[in-house]
Amino acid sequence: MTRRVTAVLATAAALAGCGGDGGREGRHLEVFAASSLRGVLEELEPAARFTYGGSDDLAAQIRDGAPADVFLSAAAAPLERLRRDGLVGAPRAFASNRLVLVVPPGRRDGPRDVAALARPGLKLVLGAPGVPVGDYARAALARARVDVAANVVSLEQDAKGVLGKVALGEADAGIVYATDARAARDEVRTLAIPERLQPRIRYLAAPVERGDTEAAAAFLDRLTGEGGATALRAAGFVGLRG
Amino acid sequence: MNGFRLLLVAALVVAVAFLALPVVAIFLRVPPAQLVEQLADERARDALVVSLRTSLVAHALVVGVGTPAAYLLATRSFRGRSLVVSLLELPLVLPPAVAGLGLLAAFGRSGLLGRELDALGLQIPFTQLAVVLAICFVASPFYVRAAIAAFAAVDVDVVAAARTLGAGEARTFARVVLPLAAGGLGAGSTVAFARGLGEFGATIMFAGSLPGRTQTAPLAIYDALDEAFGVALALSALLVLLSVLVLVLSKVLPRWLRSLQSSPSRAATSTSP
Repeated sequence: MTRRVTAVLATAAALAGCGGDGGREGRHLEVFAASSLRGVLEELEPAARFTYGGSDDLAAQIRDGAPADVFLSAAAAPLERLRRDGLVGAPRAFASNRLVLVVPPGRRDGPRDVAALARPGLKLVLGAPGVPVGDYARAALARARVDVAANVVSLEQDAKGVLGKVALGEADAGIVYATDARAARDEVRTLAIPERLQPRIRYLAAPVERGDTEAAAAFLDRLTGEGGATALRAAGFVGLRG
Repeated sequence: MNGFRLLLVAALVVAVAFLALPVVAIFLRVPPAQLVEQLADERARDALVVSLRTSLVAHALVVGVGTPAAYLLATRSFRGRSLVVSLLELPLVLPPAVAGLGLLAAFGRSGLLGRELDALGLQIPFTQLAVVLAICFVASPFYVRAAIAAFAAVDVDVVAAARTLGAGEARTFARVVLPLAAGGLGAGSTVAFARGLGEFGATIMFAGSLPGRTQTAPLAIYDALDEAFGVALALSALLVLLSVLVLVLSKVLPRWLRSLQSSPSRAATSTSP
């Protein structure tokens, strides 16, 4: 539901931007970015308009003709699908993230590590299949050889849904990005997931072919340059590994 | 005059076009054969089963509790009656997200009754019971409201006559009032059922979304929108058809029930004068 609304809003905003001065001059750069990047990159391009959402939702909007110039995805798959259909240019990796375990604060008998997620009766919330944060979590659980199938009580559309249910104390645990957990550190307790279980999380950016590719290229240079790296580090993202 | 009439017609055309277009567009986007095929998808079937099960249980609760409560409100006046009616109608205007949060705050594990429910071995969030409660919360005002109106419209003289003829209050209710109000009750009941079937916001917050357990058809539509657009469209089309059916029922049912009961009852009353 929200994705349709944002698509309509984005379209309306773009129309308003174009109508104003009838040309490219007054047009804002339209950046479609994964929710986990919210509030991180605005300073890179103060004049740009940022639309946040689940990466796969945003990809669906771009496919439907939403007026994006740049697409920043939290996983490769949504971008690759667009790339295959010639809707976006060559993707560039610009950041990585880590998964963490989040649990409600102030509960003594809660899980302490990934292995404890299989404990009978534990209520675990993950992202839905196709939602990057959920797919990454399943990859980490598979690596840990922990079978949580019986404990999953809800599959959410984004990290916010997972965090909310943990923060309210309804779920016993959830798996989200370290950056999301950091932003919600007053609401949830964060437990690290060991390095050997971490999936390779890559954030990729690509210019949208129908958009303003010139302005997009300039933005991507700043994103992959020192300015972008500093902003991303400050928000808790980690540099690219191998 | 002519200009005014033109304005009225133009307004109607705009309204019909705007309200009907999205519904028609759903059917135009995917051919019917493909819609049927998509409904065989496991996800779609699971969601429909969850939706029907929870809606039916919730509906039984809504009608079972709502009918006597509405009868009391329709036939007795007491201090604070309008306050009570307003409270019952509140979910009608409440944003579903607020309803979901409220249900969590009341029945959640760390909610108001969380400890008491836990002592009874009941943990409601993330269960089908949570879906049922969410549906009850948002749908019951539609039924209660219609039921109050239906009971209020029953001729008091007929009720009084039944009482003077020696029928007790319960018997009068069952044999006289209920049949006379049946049309209005049926209409309210179908609309409440449809509203419950479409419940989304409160459910996703209070019950979460897990295929085969708490994922109802509207939640499955939301979930499938990105990578299984065909399934989302097919489920949407099915819900449109169900809604149309419900709307037709809610209009036809009262008339049909009235015609059904008016013939024998008129025959009965015509013998008296």
